[in-house]
Amino acid sequence: MKRTQPELSRRAFLTSLGALGVAFEGGRAFAGAGAVLTKAVPATGERLPVIGMGSWITFNVGDDPALREARRQVLQAFFDRGGAVIDSSPMYGSSEEVIGYCLARIANKRALFAATKVWTVSRWLGVRQMKESRRLWGRERFDLMQIHNLLDWETHLETLVEWKAERRVRYIGMTTSHGSRHDELEKAMAGQPLDFVQFTYNILDREAERRLLPLAAERGLAVIVNRPFRRGALFDDFARHPLPGWAGEFDCANWAQFFLKFIVSHPAVTCAIPATSRVDHMHQNMGAAIGRLPDAGTRKRMIRYVESL
Amino acid sequence: MLAYTTEVFFSVFALYNAAIWPAQIIATALGALVVLLTLRPRGGSDRIIAACLAASWLWTGVVYHMMYLTAIDWAAWAFGTAFAMQGVLFAWTGAARGRLVFRFSPNLTGWAGLGLVIFSLAAAPLIGSLTGHGWPRAPMFGVAPAPVTLFTLGMLLLSERRVPLHLTVIPVLWCLIGGTAAWLLNLPEDLALPLAGVAAMALVLWKNRGAALS
Repeated sequence: MKRTQPELSRRAFLTSLGALGVAFEGGRAFAGAGAVLTKAVPATGERLPVIGMGSWITFNVGDDPALREARRQVLQAFFDRGGAVIDSSPMYGSSEEVIGYCLARIANKRALFAATKVWTVSRWLGVRQMKESRRLWGRERFDLMQIHNLLDWETHLETLVEWKAERRVRYIGMTTSHGSRHDELEKAMAGQPLDFVQFTYNILDREAERRLLPLAAERGLAVIVNRPFRRGALFDDFARHPLPGWAGEFDCANWAQFFLKFIVSHPAVTCAIPATSRVDHMHQNMGAAIGRLPDAGTRKRMIRYVESL
Repeated sequence: MLAYTTEVFFSVFALYNAAIWPAQIIATALGALVVLLTLRPRGGSDRIIAACLAASWLWTGVVYHMMYLTAIDWAAWAFGTAFAMQGVLFAWTGAARGRLVFRFSPNLTGWAGLGLVIFSLAAAPLIGSLTGHGWPRAPMFGVAPAPVTLFTLGMLLLSERRVPLHLTVIPVLWCLIGGTAAWLLNLPEDLALPLAGVAAMALVLWKNRGAALS
């Protein structure tokens, strides 16, 4: 299938991206691949690449030296392509420990934006777990500490507000996944001093468009999107079909970029965090942080296309 | 949903098997001894069998679950605790109090028990090898949860008297948990677990009912 690549003036292109709050981070560009798209954290204006990295399952490889080395290569590719946001959780088995192992063996990690979660009950256990996470990552301070799946969130939020005031953590957030507990998250977003929220959003699971994403924009909260590929199910459902020719209009070369660009082109989304254990997939994912993003009309067209398959 | 892949699951077994070698040989030899003592009882053989079963459960709980699987699965602490409890129950009921008698009888429960014992000793490792999960990645007899569970259910069916129900709870629960994991990880050698658990429990209840009526 021949892919069309319509011409777009540089001014029109930059204007459309500016409307989405997107900017380029030239310093993080992968050689020859173009500038990385970034979006601002509303609370501070700090810019983050629109594609980050999740670690659920993929970095839980235990003590196996060969598997750890394979993950180090994935992480190396992530930083080589201008990545910054890495997200994990104590719930993910050895993921935090493996991330720390890999980070200690990677040179160009200055851009790292370290995000993890607290996933336990009680203040004492929460503090202990967060300190353990710092040790596992080899970090003195996390950029973002999130309350995982709203577990005992009132208790942990109190701790995190104190920690933020003491500069022991830069941002605080709250997460959910699988599209669950949106009502409770919505209440917290409306009334609590959060900087970030994290929830599920992808081209098929668009429940977040109704209330969470507009509320995040209204409240000035950065949004991290998990399960961008529906745990790989989107590839199972659609990868056997050809990409539409018009995907080239927003610099989309494969299905991973199609799914990711749909997500990060939403004005309220700060970044998506796909997880992978393969270097080639990491390159595909990071390709979504480069080039043009679909506009509102194209986003509707993307939905119609996948729903027609 | 499991927090790890099949590849990682077997990599943990590879590290575990390498670290505990040659415990697998000792466990297999003890398993053979248990079968021999069941078929040809000697004085004190029932306490020895119970002690062997207790040792298998304690080892698998403490060493495999708590020292190795915990690296990738936080729930392994709970699994390890349950396995250790089962070991203590066997030690108390069988080895200390002598309340278990293991004898082969040529009836339905006897043959079913012997079948499970032989399956866990020989057939399960063979299926593992045929499906690409051979040594050193294979869950080995006597030191891994699924073989220990299947062997134990077989031995309980070979017990002469009424089977103490408190000894069946954890093995049957593990059959369901392990069977779910086997399904999620696509492990054909462990798909026998849930089937064996349900069938063994039904046979235990049937056997106990018969013992109560006689």
